[in-house]
Amino acid sequence: MMNEYTVLLQQVINGLSLGAMYSLLALGFTLVYGILELINFAHFNVFMVASFIGMWALEALGISGQSVILTGLPLVGALVFAFIVTMTLAGVLGVVIERLALRPMRGVRGTAAMITTIGVGYILFNIILLAVGADSKNYPNPMPNVDWDLGGATLRLREVLIWTIAVVLMVGLHLFVTRTRLGKAMRATAQDAEAARMMGIDVDRVIVTAFFLGSALAGAAALIFGLYYNYTSFIIGYSAGLRAFTAAVLGGIGSVAGAMLGGVIIGLIESLGGQLLAVRWTDVIIFSILVLVLVFAPSGLLGRAAPNKS
Amino acid sequence: MAEKDLTERPLGMLGASYAWIRGASPIQWIAPHMRSPASIGFLVAAALLFPIISRNDANIDSMANALSYAALALGLNIVVGFAGLLDLGYAAFFAIGAYTYGAFASYQIEPAWSGFWEPFQWLDLVARVHDPGGDLVHFQVSFWLMLPVSAAVAAFFGVLFGAPTLRLKGDYLAIVTLGFGEIVPIVARNWPSVTNGAMGLNGVAAPQLFGWSFGIGATPYYYVGVALVALLIFTSLRLKSSRIGRAWMAIREDEIAAAAMGVNRVKFKLLAFAIGAGFAGATGTFFVAKLQTATPEMFMFPVSVMILVMIVFGGIGSVWGVVLGAMILQVLQSWILEDLSQWLHALGRLIHIHWLQQVELAQSIELIFGLILVTMMLYRREGLIPATRRVQGLTLAQQTAHVGSGGSAGNPDRLAALLAPDRVPDGPLLDISGLTVRFGGLVALRQVALTVPAGSVVAVIGPNGSGKSTLFNAMTGLVPADEGTLRFAGGNIARLPPHAVLERGIARTFQNLRLFPSLTVLENVMIGMHARLATGAVGALLRLPGTRREEEAARERAMAILEIFGNRLVPRAEHTVASLSYANRRRVEIARALASQPKLLLLDEPTAGMNPAETIELAGQIKGLHQLGLAILLIEHKLDVVVNLAQNVVVLDHGEKIAEGTPDVVRRDEEVIRAYLGRSASVGSAAIA
Amino acid sequence: MTTRRALLAQLPAAAVAANLALRARHVLAADKSVTVGIDVPLTGSDAENAILIKNGAMIAVDDANASGGVAGYHIDVMVLDDGTTTAGQYDPAQAAINARKFVSDPNVVAAIGPEMSGCGKAMAPILSQGNLATITPSSTNPDITDPKFAPQFRPAGKAIYFRTVTTDAYQGPDMANYFAQTLKVQKIYILDDGGAYGVGMANAFEEQAKRDGLTVLGHDQLDPREADYTTILTKIKAIGPEALYYGGTSLAGIKLVKQSYEVLPQIIKAGGDGVYSAALVKGAGFPAMEGWYATIAAPYIAENPDVAPWIERYRAKFGQGPTSYSFTAYDGMLVILDAIKRVADAGQPVNHDTVRDAIQSANLKTLQGTVSFDENGDIKNRIVSVFQCHQNEKYPVDDVLHQFKYLGVAPEIT
Repeated sequence: MMNEYTVLLQQVINGLSLGAMYSLLALGFTLVYGILELINFAHFNVFMVASFIGMWALEALGISGQSVILTGLPLVGALVFAFIVTMTLAGVLGVVIERLALRPMRGVRGTAAMITTIGVGYILFNIILLAVGADSKNYPNPMPNVDWDLGGATLRLREVLIWTIAVVLMVGLHLFVTRTRLGKAMRATAQDAEAARMMGIDVDRVIVTAFFLGSALAGAAALIFGLYYNYTSFIIGYSAGLRAFTAAVLGGIGSVAGAMLGGVIIGLIESLGGQLLAVRWTDVIIFSILVLVLVFAPSGLLGRAAPNKS
Repeated sequence: MAEKDLTERPLGMLGASYAWIRGASPIQWIAPHMRSPASIGFLVAAALLFPIISRNDANIDSMANALSYAALALGLNIVVGFAGLLDLGYAAFFAIGAYTYGAFASYQIEPAWSGFWEPFQWLDLVARVHDPGGDLVHFQVSFWLMLPVSAAVAAFFGVLFGAPTLRLKGDYLAIVTLGFGEIVPIVARNWPSVTNGAMGLNGVAAPQLFGWSFGIGATPYYYVGVALVALLIFTSLRLKSSRIGRAWMAIREDEIAAAAMGVNRVKFKLLAFAIGAGFAGATGTFFVAKLQTATPEMFMFPVSVMILVMIVFGGIGSVWGVVLGAMILQVLQSWILEDLSQWLHALGRLIHIHWLQQVELAQSIELIFGLILVTMMLYRREGLIPATRRVQGLTLAQQTAHVGSGGSAGNPDRLAALLAPDRVPDGPLLDISGLTVRFGGLVALRQVALTVPAGSVVAVIGPNGSGKSTLFNAMTGLVPADEGTLRFAGGNIARLPPHAVLERGIARTFQNLRLFPSLTVLENVMIGMHARLATGAVGALLRLPGTRREEEAARERAMAILEIFGNRLVPRAEHTVASLSYANRRRVEIARALASQPKLLLLDEPTAGMNPAETIELAGQIKGLHQLGLAILLIEHKLDVVVNLAQNVVVLDHGEKIAEGTPDVVRRDEEVIRAYLGRSASVGSAAIA
Repeated sequence: MTTRRALLAQLPAAAVAANLALRARHVLAADKSVTVGIDVPLTGSDAENAILIKNGAMIAVDDANASGGVAGYHIDVMVLDDGTTTAGQYDPAQAAINARKFVSDPNVVAAIGPEMSGCGKAMAPILSQGNLATITPSSTNPDITDPKFAPQFRPAGKAIYFRTVTTDAYQGPDMANYFAQTLKVQKIYILDDGGAYGVGMANAFEEQAKRDGLTVLGHDQLDPREADYTTILTKIKAIGPEALYYGGTSLAGIKLVKQSYEVLPQIIKAGGDGVYSAALVKGAGFPAMEGWYATIAAPYIAENPDVAPWIERYRAKFGQGPTSYSFTAYDGMLVILDAIKRVADAGQPVNHDTVRDAIQSANLKTLQGTVSFDENGDIKNRIVSVFQCHQNEKYPVDDVLHQFKYLGVAPEIT
């Protein structure tokens, strides 16, 4: 039986798991924005496509549904394989999109590039819809159903998995961005592309890297999504996308730490808001946060002041 | 008006098909000046005769839907195309219009009857309905009355949703509008007392004309749709070629320059939102009156995107283009793809291929939308019918003409009438003291004092980074002044927004040129006059004799101002400024500033990038302006120009005034030399001419 | 340029010629034929059920044509899609256009559909004007046949919206009675999926539950596009109801079933005919589905000995099992065919007017028993059947007939 504290604890656990996913998605989004100042609407449908890639990768290993359970080394092996395949192919998809649809738009004034990303998102969305249909697909999941009881609240293995992977990836990204040459080049380009170019940084390469990394992170988030919810469908990009986008904006668009923080906050708002009010208002709450942040505090919590394009 | 004449444009495959569809050959039989009326006449005839030719109720209904989307496209075109504000939540206004009509013309809302309702009953707006639980009020407001009322309600929400976005840049603005666009259907779904929630409205009343109800057949609705679209096209065209349209396009092209030229950005952005939303509100009423039901799912993000695709496809900013885009895509969706699918099914049955019989092309319409968006953005951003008109080539004579510097020498009285400031106060025209501007930790201007007497020329010089442009920006309200007083013509201009500063009589040019690139030379100059003209939206719409006279006078004045620059700009009056040479663009900027009849002209490096001959020419023209009585504050690097023109010179360095005086005095000043050269006079005095 | 233009000029002519050729061939093929329309949302999230409805109706048509038609008339079918991708599901505006297509085609004598009530609201006035009857196998919003709204939905007066399924006015409330009387639960929590059908079901259920004296601890709304329902399920778990009622379709339902299995394994869970769905059972799978109650707005048909072979034929023909809408669609088509036969046998011309009258007076034995309609177009037999899902490994997981065990008739509202 749950008392009022354990239910809040449970909602916090729920919220942190949601937050981990939103953080990963928001990270990919904010990486691109930091450098190109472009809102990439296609990002969330890359996430959706990647979840299908992950599904097919796991099915290729012979895992279907939740009936095949693995433990120990085979489990780790299967997951590592799935993550590598999904993240790589998702990254490639991101790079392809950049090359074909976005590079020609670089330098075009105004919102033309953003409109193009809306178009790309639509294309991905509808290709999958036409190809696999509208119904939800059962996700292959080799993880055993282990959980721990925390005084009435339940902590499940998959939650621990999400947090671990999310933290590993975020730490990895942080190290990449601060310790490697390419990472430093990315930060420099994000601050001033012109100057970076003049310092000999190959800005094109930096942009491709940003798209690759961002989409790969979306791929990781997608695989996590499938393993957590045991399903995927053509529409998962919409809702997760909205929340991840708000998370990126709230945390400070362009800031890596901001995306992580924003993700956690939005996840907690979703679960605690649903608990204390009603889940039917979650969308309205999220949209209101989005609007309020953009209007009154566009640089978010941790971001730099939004540069004035005009 | 040359939008419609496409036969000489360089045509790609798309353009060729379009030209063919438009009957490129038949149109050539008609004399050029008759082409526009002939096309319009053809369209009107086709629109009116369509139901008679088609006779198929479903097709007529389809066309009525297409007309609705055309109306929506026209509305979004005003917001996105004219004013450059990307609204991704436009369907919200469609919903508001629909539900407003639904609230007042269905059985959804039935308050208890009381005496309060009697006058409304007398006006035939409500009816008294008998109910076992007590009499109720039934709203039955006329469709024709609700059309403008819903438009007004939607316009109100347009202002409400637009207000938070005023200071946001393009993509953030889009996201906020997207947010509002999502919130409205959620509210509709969760407010069952007004909207019947997810289940949709029941029995929305059909329009009635002189007691005869429209009923079910699609034909009367079709004609209402034609009338609505015609009205909206008329409104769009009238607004586009008026002062309002010019102000919107200025905002779209360069918001800062627009403000500096007197356009009140807040007012015009909200006006664009309001009018755009109003179009959608009226269309929502029409759509729901025809369908007689409404559900929240009819107004969600995909609908907003569909309208966006229609205007991108048709041509952002082009009135006829977006109508064409909307009609083509809607007809494609509900008619052509359907019929094509049936045709493929029949073919499949004929040649026994099973999958052909199952193919449903209509299901891939959104994929097609996505493809259209991407390909249009990549390859033909201007759409099917571009908004910008084609450039008429210069004749050989014009191209090889001798450059005549014309202008001031030609007709001084006329120019004086055009440009001379009306009322010049006693005392200094511009009086600045203690001006300090900080950007974070950097002090860009520190305690700067400056006066410009009426009718004089003052030059501001100084090394790069000394704060000269910041001085201009602080004066014109583009940058806030942290300390100091700014007085102009006897009034305080310290906290005024840029357009108000222009209204007071200060006009400026920009160091890095801020023209409106896709507008013509003449349009650029006429925007300079924005603050001196009075036509509002209503005047633009009705085009009363007063408005027409004002427009013509404005045009003449603009041409006269262009003549100051001889034959450099006059033959290029209808060219877009993007196609002009650098020097000509500088001249246009000056002309634009002059058009606002300033008392004080701020020129920020006007001769930058010009060769010596052009510099001399421009200096002469500036001198001519000075002789007409204009006060000029000039930032210049070329000391010979300064010496030639300026009566007084102010020198800035690192944000502080380090010297002031006549040109001769200043250029021998120790401080000035050190500032420029980094060493004392004795070593480098020979360097300064 | 001339050659290209000439080529382009020939395209429409070629298209027209081909079109005419195909139609001509078709017309020559049959001596006498009538057309029955089928209007279902083949595009979007309702496509699943749309196909099942279409298939169910098609079996009846194919059977009739195989045996020489009905009273000598070959039955043609005009299938129209009322779903659009812009709406992502059924689209009332498209349904209105489809209704006009039916009405303006003199060959169309009746129709099956629509699937969704939102489309029904748009179609009904048009059908009434054209006096064309449609039989819907799944549209359950009571307003369309409610005499209170007759001036809006059937302005011409006669009933044209017939149903082979009973409305939400009965399905939800009868289940509430079942909760109270049979399951004897006291405290319940209600969820819906925000759609027209789901909200209608949940609201009707809630009203009756309150009248039956049950305690409704809360009523919240799921977003079908959202993936995570653990928040609301955790909240419900803490509140501690004995039972959960879900009004809605499989889009949200699959996720709800899966996640509630983990968070709320012990409580009683029930839904309407949105739960009695092949897509839901297949998507949610076992053990998550185990124990879920579902209702359908029709009598239990498996007792009918004709049903099992019918299911075999259906499966053989379409490669998947039928669902409750397939039966009601089949029944509806049987009614139409029977109406055509009676009209022809009476020597009257077969057109939409005569067929409508014949449908009104139908009294036909079908898979679900005897079907007849009241003066509003509603089916007279208002039985709501209750089922519970129990895994039957001998049959495929999407075979709803065998995965759901019939429990009985829900107590009717008085």
